[in-house]
Formats: sequence, structure tokens, C-alpha cells
Amino acid sequence: MNLVEIRGLSKKFGNNVVLDNVDLDIKKGEVVAIIGPSGTGKSTLLRCLNLLEKPEAGSVKFNDKTFNLTTKNKKEKLELRQHTEMVFQQFNLFKNKDALSNVMEGLTVVKKIPKEEARKKALEEIEKVGMSDRLYHYPKHLSGGQQQRVAIARALALEPELLLMDEPTSALDPELVNEVLLTIKRVAKEGNTILLVTHEMNFVKSVANRIIFLENGKIVADGTPQEIFENPTNERLKTFLSNINMLESADNYII
Amino acid sequence: MAKLFDGVLVFKQIPYLLKYLPTTLYLTFIALVIGLSIGLFIAVIRINKVPVLNQLSIGFVSLMRGTPIIVQLYITYFGIPIALKYFNYYHGTNYDINAIPGIVFAMVALGLNQAAFDSETIRSAIQSVDKGQIEAAKSMGMTGLQVLRRITLPQAITVALLPLGNSLIALFKGTSLAFTCSVVEITAAAKITAGKSYRYFEAYCSIAIIYWVITFVLERILVLIEKKTSIPAEPKEVKA
Repeated sequence: MNLVEIRGLSKKFGNNVVLDNVDLDIKKGEVVAIIGPSGTGKSTLLRCLNLLEKPEAGSVKFNDKTFNLTTKNKKEKLELRQHTEMVFQQFNLFKNKDALSNVMEGLTVVKKIPKEEARKKALEEIEKVGMSDRLYHYPKHLSGGQQQRVAIARALALEPELLLMDEPTSALDPELVNEVLLTIKRVAKEGNTILLVTHEMNFVKSVANRIIFLENGKIVADGTPQEIFENPTNERLKTFLSNINMLESADNYII
Repeated sequence: MAKLFDGVLVFKQIPYLLKYLPTTLYLTFIALVIGLSIGLFIAVIRINKVPVLNQLSIGFVSLMRGTPIIVQLYITYFGIPIALKYFNYYHGTNYDINAIPGIVFAMVALGLNQAAFDSETIRSAIQSVDKGQIEAAKSMGMTGLQVLRRITLPQAITVALLPLGNSLIALFKGTSLAFTCSVVEITAAAKITAGKSYRYFEAYCSIAIIYWVITFVLERILVLIEKKTSIPAEPKEVKA
């Protein structure tokens, strides 16, 4: 059974159509990676699901409950947002709170869980991302990779049905990318359902069990990593992949 | 030669003038509260561009910043009684303007003046909080009020603290104009005693000392608050 069913999602910025009537089903435990050229609405697709962007049309179904994504009802918006959690490119940790408080924030404020219980849950999640020795560090004391790991703990503490990851490693120094990728891999192995936008193609190959190629607001290809990377049938996908490869070979060429 | 400057008197009359310090502080405090709360209200209106209220706020801020505070005090002091007389005339009521003490007019005028300046400080401080954190808080499912209270305001306060401190000090000294509303605070008291002894210069020296000392204390308090609200430079280690 599908955990998430997205129907008819459309979004325009001015006259520029970013998402064009997108349908997408995600099964429980699936790790779905969205790839595609820049400006094709990959991030926008994620941001429409928690209403950080207002789409023109579309609905999303979680389990048995359908939400209209154009709703103006505040209560409904808050409810929808609790089905998903997001990990951002720029981490977006609360700068006025230390790591532990960052993870506890949603538990106490949104879920109204008593402080002691929230602390326990937060400590568990922080332990899992390997940040237990930095509970009282503020974001400014942490490296980018460490901040992103705390951000992942913060998202997972709220037990989202669908975890949205918007280019989680794009803002990191190359040296720090790996620790975050390993964390994501572990999160994926634990059975979390993830919708991930990334440019780390090798990582996608190893962690995703389904890849979507988005172009000009439409899903152009949808398949397993093997189908996408090894036997691409779509012409545009082929060009995209060869462009990436060309970049890699160009690097080699310069050296 | 006659004694042109009585240095002893400068200090001798300070205890007498200090009797009027509570009025000055009370006036400062109430105007501060009015200024901060209306200032925050205007800042939120302007950030969210609430129709009608936004335009009114822009007009209000422009008017308050564009006219001298002493003119505002006079307008309040003379304007409200006139308005009340009209009100009484048209509604057949009989409200007595003399029942309202002068200090209330001074509080209102100084408070509104503060609100205009504070609203701009608060607005820029709120807008300096990075949008990403607000998005993160929203995506968790926090309500707009929760985001403001838990994420935006605590960070905005750190940014706004120094300019608001400046404005508080200006307000404290601005209360010296409250005599226009027939309020006797330390400046007015100094003028009154000097009127008897003709030692005006000494009286102004005395209150200069009082203002300076109090401002010095205010500055210290602000530094303490700043230390308290800022994020520690070094992280606290987790005890094993």
C-alpha cells in the first residue's frame, strides 16, 4: 500500500511553470531520490509538501487522510506539516538554542511531550547521529557536518512518516560530506521513508531504491538505480547523465 | 568678589532633588512599556503588511519621527483637553479634564514617541533573523505565534538590545521635558529651587550629575543583559 500519494501538484513562479501536474506515489520504507537539472522544481516539490511553498493545485494523501495542498485552513496546515519533517541544505538549526534544545524543541512545543520524556527521546536521537558529546554546543560551535547531523536528529525525533531532505550535503565542505552521507544511509536502513533531493549521484546509487528524474516540472523517468543509471531509455536523461560524466572527464582532462 | 559659583550647593541640593527622581523613573518606565509594546505591535503589522493598519503605521511613524518631542508634548497637553471639551459638548457628557494628572499626558506623548522609534528597531531586528530557521520551525508544525515567541523574538532581542538601550537612555533624559505637561520631575524641581535662590547654574550642574549617574547604572544593566542573552563564546562540555 502507498504511504504517500501526491496528485496533480502544480506550481508556478510568475509565468515559469516549475511543477506541472505531478503525480507521485511513495511506499513505506522507500528511499526515493529526485535528480535532474537545476531549476526543474526538485526542491519546490519537497517544499510544496510541507507548504513552505504554496502550490496552485494538488493534494497529498497520508495513509487514509487526504490534504488539499491549496488549503487556507491553518489547523489543516499544521496537521499536514506534522506528517513530514524536513532537513535543509543550510541546516537551519535554531541559533539561539544548543544541540539538545534544538532536538527537544519540536517535541515539547509541537507534540506537547513532557520535558523529561522529550529529553530522553532527544538524547536517543542525538546518540544515533553520534553527537552525544556535544549536547550543549550551539550551532555556531559546530561544523557544517555536525550541524546537519543534529538537524537530522531533530527531524527524526518527531517521527515523521515521510522525511524530506533538500540537498542535505550541498552546503558542506567536501571533507564533511561523508559523515552526513553515512548518517543518511543509516537513517535509510532503519526503514524510514525518505524523499531526497541531491546531486551526489554515487550516493544515490548506493542508498536510494528508487530514482525519479525531474525535468521542466514533469517526472520524465522513474525507476531503480540500475534502470536509471545503467539502462536509461529517456533521451533527456541520457544527456543529463552524460553531462555529469562529461564534467567528471573534463576534470580528469585538466589534470 | 562675589561667589560666582557655589560648588558646595551643587552637592548639597542633590538629596532634595532626588526626592523627585521616582517621578522621573516612573515616567521613564511607563513610557518604555508603552513604547516597546506598541513598537512591537507596529513592527509586526509592518512586517506582515496588514492592509490599512500598515499605512496608518507608516504615517504614524513618519509623524512622530518628523516632529520635535517638545511639540508632541505640547500638542498632547493642549490637544486632549480640547478634544474632550468637544466630546463633552456633542455627547452631553461632563468629563473633567482636570481629573487627569499631567504625568499621564507626558507618559502618552513620550510612550508614543518611543513606539515610533522602537518599532523601526524591532522591525529591522526581526527581519534580521534568517528565514531558514523560521522555515524550519514552521515545517515542524509550529504556529505563527510559537515561531515568533520561541525562535524569532529571542534572536531579534539580542540584535535589538543595543539600539533599544540607546533609545531607553534617550527616553530617560527626554523625561526632562515633561515640565511642559506640568509634571515636577528632577529638572522641573531644579528649576523651581533655582527660582528661589537664583542659583540656576548650580541647579543644572546638580541634575547633570544625577542624570549621568543613573545613565551609567542603566548602561551597566544593559551590559549585563547583553551578556546574559548572548550565546556563550565557548561551548559547555558534556560531563562524562
